[in-house]
Amino acid sequence: MSYDDVEIEDMEWNEELKAYTYPCPCGDLFQITKDDLRLGEEIARCPSCSLYITVVYNLEDFLGDSDQRNKNNLHPPKQQPLAVA
Amino acid sequence: MEHSEKGKEAKHHDEEEDEEEERQEVQEIWSWGAGTEGQLGTGRLEDEHLPQLLHLPSMASAGPISLLSCGGAHVIALTSGGRVLTWGRGTSGQLGHGDMVNSLYPKLVTSLQAYFISHVSAGWSHSGFVSDTGYLFTCGDGSFGQLGHGDYSSHCSPVRVSFFVTKHVEQIACGMRHSLVLLKGSSGFRTYAFGSGKRGQLGISNDKIKSVSLPEVTHGLEDVRIVSITANGDHSAALSVDGHLYTWGRGFSGTPDAHFPQCLLSSFLFTRAALGWNHALALTSDGEVFMLGGSYHGVLGDLEKMSPKQLPDPRGAILEKVSGLDALKIVHVAAGAEHSAVVTENEEIKTWGWGEHGQLGLGNTCDQTSPQAVSLSNNPKETATFKVFCGSGFTYAIQNPCV
Repeated sequence: MSYDDVEIEDMEWNEELKAYTYPCPCGDLFQITKDDLRLGEEIARCPSCSLYITVVYNLEDFLGDSDQRNKNNLHPPKQQPLAVA
Repeated sequence: MEHSEKGKEAKHHDEEEDEEEERQEVQEIWSWGAGTEGQLGTGRLEDEHLPQLLHLPSMASAGPISLLSCGGAHVIALTSGGRVLTWGRGTSGQLGHGDMVNSLYPKLVTSLQAYFISHVSAGWSHSGFVSDTGYLFTCGDGSFGQLGHGDYSSHCSPVRVSFFVTKHVEQIACGMRHSLVLLKGSSGFRTYAFGSGKRGQLGISNDKIKSVSLPEVTHGLEDVRIVSITANGDHSAALSVDGHLYTWGRGFSGTPDAHFPQCLLSSFLFTRAALGWNHALALTSDGEVFMLGGSYHGVLGDLEKMSPKQLPDPRGAILEKVSGLDALKIVHVAAGAEHSAVVTENEEIKTWGWGEHGQLGLGNTCDQTSPQAVSLSNNPKETATFKVFCGSGFTYAIQNPCV
């Protein structure tokens, strides 16, 4: 079961991870990429634990935004952990 | 003004130095749980499922720790001599070392050395420090206005909050994306709030407030003498001098959010409160522990098996007594995001809740719905007293010798 429902406007864009993020109670971040959102994915996972959240958003808001993203294909692999120093 | 503070600090340090060295040898610091950001102070970037006794030279030279505050993945230690050390995740500047990198070991916050720091708080990714002269400093992530500087920028060194320049700040409490401030006596025992307010956690308006970057007075506490404040997740809480507990922000157990402080309807007198992300612990003057939001907390790994939520009392979630404590009195409570820790009157540490990262210190990653005894490998000394402190997914215990 989803840990929480979080609106996309409450998530933060993380340039390093190329993903929208939200704090996970384990200390890491729930993450979801723009490509995931464009595919209608609504689950943001934490790379460090078993928890996930349900992202509340309008699919239409992300459909018009694909040109530059497809060119760069910058999103990270899903299981990549948070970078540490 | 800074010079006089320096003088005071130096004098204080001299007086306490001998005494500190003696006590230093016997104060023990233990940590366990999520550790991949260096927050356990073990020097390793990994989770620990059992309590680890820390060997910290930088801490030894700074003097005994009087208070720990644990955030999302960083720790702030306050010494009895008013100094501050921080470690763990530093990528938002929350360690206050002037950079944005993690620190595996406790490091002195040198820019605060001119002050005698008397209170500290670690939020998800920001930090607050209060001096004995009533100055408030903040650093770390400011993107929700949670630093209180009137903008949304982040800082990697503590910056004094100029809004309070004519007021005496006594306490700071940092939540996920907001902060609470308690003022002292002569300026009125006012509670202020700033940062994200979407769940009502600022207590400043009935409307949905996205965020504010300058402190505003929390309404509904004007006539109440508040003695302590606490914040975690999207929750806020305050304790009054006469033992009433006020909570506001995100609702517990699916109850509606509270946009102003709500006094808990209870005949108990509370002496301490601790907040998680979905639960609250309240300690009574008789040493009993009560929990708000308990129907969610502690069954996190097993959510499918949860029974459908009961219709909540419109005034708020139900306060339940924590069972399984064998009628032992509790002397200290702490709450992580989804776990809890208490110290019993016979100086035993008990934990329960979410255990996936070993944050319960029981040697495994299981969840627990009732308090379980944590054993520190060197068997507790008869003359020792304990305090516990929880970060989001980790736990600290400090063992002090009895005076």
